[in-house]
Amino acid sequence: MTKIPVHLDINGRHHELQIEPRVTLLDALRERLGLTGTKKGCDHGQCGACTVHIDGERVLACLTLAAQAEGRAITTIEGLAREGELHPVQAAFLERDAFQCGYCTPGQIMSAVACIREGHAGSDEEIREYMAGNLCRCGAYPHIVAAVRQAAQEFAS
Amino acid sequence: MTVHNIRVGESKRGDASDGTLAEAVGGRLSRVDGPAKITGAAKYAVEQQLEGLAYAVLVESTIASGKVRAIDTASAEASPGVLRVLTPDTIISLRTASDWLGTTPPDKPYCPLARDITFSGQHVAAVVAETFEQAVAAAALVNVSYDETPSIVDLSDGKAGDGIAIDAMTKEWGDAPAAFAAAPVRICAAYNTPREYQAPMEPHGLIARWEGDRLTVWEPSQWLDGMARTYAEWFEVPFENVRLVSPYIGGGFGSKALALSHGAVAASAAKMIGRPVKLVMTRPQTFTGYGGRAATRQTVTIGADRDGVIQSIVHRGVNETSIDGMWVEPLGSVTSIMYATPNFSSKQNVVRVNSVVPGAMRAPGENPSAFGIESAIDELAYEVGIDPLEIRLRNYAEQDPHAKKAWSTRQLREAFAAGAERFGWSRRSPKPRSMRDGNQLIGWGVAAGTYPVRRAYGEAVVRILADGSVEVESSSIDMGQGTYTILAQTAAETLGVPADDVVVKLGDSRFARAGVSGGSRLAGVMTGAVHKAATSALDQLVGLAISDPRSPFHALQANTLVVANGRIGSPRGDGPDVSIAELLKSVGRDRIEATGDTMPANSTAEDRYKNYTTIAMALPHTEGDYSRYSWCAHFIEVRVDEDFGTVRVSRVVSALDSGRLYNPKLAESQWKGGIIMGIGQALLEEGIMDRRHGRIVNNNLADYLVPTNADIPDIEVISVGIPDPHSSALGGKGVGELGIVGVAPAIANAVFHATGKRVRDLPITLEKLI
Amino acid sequence: MRDFSYLRATSTDAARQAAALPGAMLLAGGTTLIDLAKCGVAEPDTLVDITHLKGLDRIAVDERGATIGALARMGHVADHADIKSRFPAISEALWQAASAQIRNMATIGGNLMQRTRCPYFRDPANFAACNKRVSGSGCSAIGGVTRGHAVLGTSEACIAMYPGDLATALVAFDATVHLGERKLLVDDFFLLPGTTPDREHAIEPGEMITAIAIPGSAAARRSTYLKIRDRQSYEFAAASAAVGIEFEADGRTIRDLRVALGGVATKPWRVRAVEDALKGKVLEPETVRAASLLAVEGAVDHGANHYKIELAPRVVARAILKLGETA
Repeated sequence: MTKIPVHLDINGRHHELQIEPRVTLLDALRERLGLTGTKKGCDHGQCGACTVHIDGERVLACLTLAAQAEGRAITTIEGLAREGELHPVQAAFLERDAFQCGYCTPGQIMSAVACIREGHAGSDEEIREYMAGNLCRCGAYPHIVAAVRQAAQEFAS
Repeated sequence: MTVHNIRVGESKRGDASDGTLAEAVGGRLSRVDGPAKITGAAKYAVEQQLEGLAYAVLVESTIASGKVRAIDTASAEASPGVLRVLTPDTIISLRTASDWLGTTPPDKPYCPLARDITFSGQHVAAVVAETFEQAVAAAALVNVSYDETPSIVDLSDGKAGDGIAIDAMTKEWGDAPAAFAAAPVRICAAYNTPREYQAPMEPHGLIARWEGDRLTVWEPSQWLDGMARTYAEWFEVPFENVRLVSPYIGGGFGSKALALSHGAVAASAAKMIGRPVKLVMTRPQTFTGYGGRAATRQTVTIGADRDGVIQSIVHRGVNETSIDGMWVEPLGSVTSIMYATPNFSSKQNVVRVNSVVPGAMRAPGENPSAFGIESAIDELAYEVGIDPLEIRLRNYAEQDPHAKKAWSTRQLREAFAAGAERFGWSRRSPKPRSMRDGNQLIGWGVAAGTYPVRRAYGEAVVRILADGSVEVESSSIDMGQGTYTILAQTAAETLGVPADDVVVKLGDSRFARAGVSGGSRLAGVMTGAVHKAATSALDQLVGLAISDPRSPFHALQANTLVVANGRIGSPRGDGPDVSIAELLKSVGRDRIEATGDTMPANSTAEDRYKNYTTIAMALPHTEGDYSRYSWCAHFIEVRVDEDFGTVRVSRVVSALDSGRLYNPKLAESQWKGGIIMGIGQALLEEGIMDRRHGRIVNNNLADYLVPTNADIPDIEVISVGIPDPHSSALGGKGVGELGIVGVAPAIANAVFHATGKRVRDLPITLEKLI
Repeated sequence: MRDFSYLRATSTDAARQAAALPGAMLLAGGTTLIDLAKCGVAEPDTLVDITHLKGLDRIAVDERGATIGALARMGHVADHADIKSRFPAISEALWQAASAQIRNMATIGGNLMQRTRCPYFRDPANFAACNKRVSGSGCSAIGGVTRGHAVLGTSEACIAMYPGDLATALVAFDATVHLGERKLLVDDFFLLPGTTPDREHAIEPGEMITAIAIPGSAAARRSTYLKIRDRQSYEFAAASAAVGIEFEADGRTIRDLRVALGGVATKPWRVRAVEDALKGKVLEPETVRAASLLAVEGAVDHGANHYKIELAPRVVARAILKLGETA
């Protein structure tokens, strides 16, 4: 099938790709653009490792065609820290040791940033439910909850 | 391989809540590789950006037993972008490699693509194409036909039989059957665990690149040198020609220690097309491309007196293995050491089924073993009417009952006490179904866990550079245990420099060699090696400062000097005070380098090769006068909905003895991670077979359920360990596997307490309780 | 994934026309379609992307009811203040579905088109027989692993369970689906498998879901969605119930009751027998439990899914009693 031009706005930068329509946003990021911070864990929407923001909302890059994301503002983990300053959620993840192997971590952090922004970080129970779409096999969950709680409190104050 | 150069605010670097300086060994320094992981800068193995990369996708067998009759590749080959279709007939021939013990292999070819099918999901072909999408699409066009034969699905298959007796697993003392027959209280029950899967979040995969007869493999690996050896033997090139690179590993849990057939396929493909090839398993392929934990069956019979004192344990175990491979899951490992008993018998068989050969998964052996004995002793407690904690203390093993040796350290009594106190065990109402909250039946359960201290020799290079900074190099790895961090702490403390000035480089087989990162041995082995290397580097540094005529300390005629916070001075504080960089400059050196090597002094090059590329030289945990184990006690509360049978863990307090902790912050994370995987094992995880097809049907993360954040309560872990000088150079014991051992029986015991139903088949799903 | 061409629709009419062509399919959130394309189940020649269409994502709620545009996303509807207050069961069904990320992608229209999770349906490479995929090819599930399969509404051709949550709540409250001008009850939109399990929805080529409408009612206002599953979150239901209740002035006698089951049937499963048995009765635990058994009238198990027959009535009873507690 012929390739099509796809223009993507990622972390405030413009990228132009010639790709087949079937290329997912995840494979465009990882295999074409060298933006490998977004991880592939299952490729079927079952783990959350590929969580990115599109127009400020958390979505899964593995079930999004790159072509669909044209005209939208895409933010990946690489675009979260500003001018070398960690995002408060990133800082909280480090302080609370909210990860081990680090593979699910970019997805967890992107999800957590959105979780707080959505207003779904009001209690530990709510954080657990609204972070349930990001699997962590190392089992960092209690520390993820602590990190999200801490970052949410920082935003609130 | 890795330089972590993102600066982090002071408060994020760690805390010193226990009074220890965060940067010292034993301090709570935050992960030094953390900034790279939280910013997306950490490049995992298959994320390397290479020119000319091609993509390979595997084609798997759809039958469990039989032969490949024909493979029609015409459509796939005609598919856009396809570079090559590999089949058993077209892939290059490899040689059979030795196993992980280094056993000389049979001199015969090895083909990673199968003609003879022994399990569903076996690799039969592969497609290489210009893009990932093209390879996936073309792989679906490969048409394989088979001559199918009947398969043995699993242990419950009528054709499975009793299997092969593994005599090496037999452990016996006293006369266990007679003592059992004579005992006034007798219990006997069967405990089963299903196939379970490591399911690391990063799927297995690799990039292979050939340059002449030199092979570079970027692959997530728990054992670079072991895998390099296998690749070298497969492709008949010198070991030195193979470079493994594995800077970060997205979880392994035992599954990433060995080179596997998909690696052979990718490296063959790269050689055949003369380009680097990337092959990553799909998530479903990870359920059949390598082995998870073998399904197990155990019967545990205990004879006791009316006070619950054990007189006899008779244990029989069975685990599944594959048709042509051998995996023994040591089911008597905990049974034989947890409790004192004058009479004991444990035997084990292994049964061949049409499955991929099972493999190591977090605490292989100890994990299912503990499910049997720690459930059985709970049953005994109810049988004789004694509190489940009390019966464990009554049967406390004061020495290793099997090896008949003193424990190096065993803080299990302390673990029971600390856990019970914190959990509030004394407030437990003993009767089943006696605690509830509305529709929720509440149950409290306890179980113990243990894991042997696996020891080995290690090696590391420590370099003091001209600017005073320090480099540590090792081909060992960090898959989340915190290796980068604890080795930085070890070097910093030993050398007297800030941890910030230490760069730890891991995950490249060009660095100082390292054995397998498995069996919870890495921290003990590597802190010992780094400590030795750093001590040697420090000796050189101080030696230069004292003896070099150009040194500002030369005139001092001191016997020794002190290095602290990156500066050198005399112990009394008189005389010069210069930075390491200044000293090196003054003596005209641009670096000091030392190799720390804990091998015996008379070791040959062959010994070293064997030590790092096989497990044959691992030191027995019962060597010498002591028996060495880590220990833990889990106290768990469950809530079982009386109508729905759903079980939720609502509280966990675990007290653990891993000896001295090199970094409590990171050790606590690993313990909790083990406990959480144990919760999954107890309540959710099970590979479900279609018996007609001999195939696992829930081969994905939506159907093979691992815990989500919502399944996990707050978990409290308490360290009760003390430094154990017999277990490691710096006094630590194992951390990574310990936490999972005993969790499943603690939950099963809690479920019994809540409901009065004893579930002996994992996982404890709702239909077993409604 | 087989290759396909991509077409971004610029208007609803254009989308309908493009999607009417053979081999063309509408693409909204993609959480089912891209997933199934990767499984080799969906093999479109053309995907018509409707996510860039404007104006189809409106949520309008008043006393008469709610109208939700087809492209409104699940997460937004779940969090909508008026949906939460007037249709709690709808909000609860939505937030307990999938994950936050998937709910931000998946649209309401696309959710109605969600396909079964039957592992045999999803794996054509290993299981050739599936009447849902290829009419007349047989059913691999019958005689296989059936723990997640339906016990209600099954046929000899198919026992695949309908996995959605939202539609279960929709059928309880007599919601309609708008296919442009044509409107039909959600209950009628979903088809029983019968001998044609490949046809799941009463939608014709060239039609497109544009909205759903839910009539307001006292029962909808006092409603809940109870979802029981092995895992606490991010899993399909073992059994679920959407229940709404309206009491007489005495606060005890049931005037109106709505009950629908999820996780146990081949389509969203309204259980009028339970409703009829309890209307006019005083809400008492024993009465409710006895009547809830009617929820699984006619159920047929296939071994491993037998527990659903035990479980479903208990879920219904608990949901009804929970609503009674707040009277």
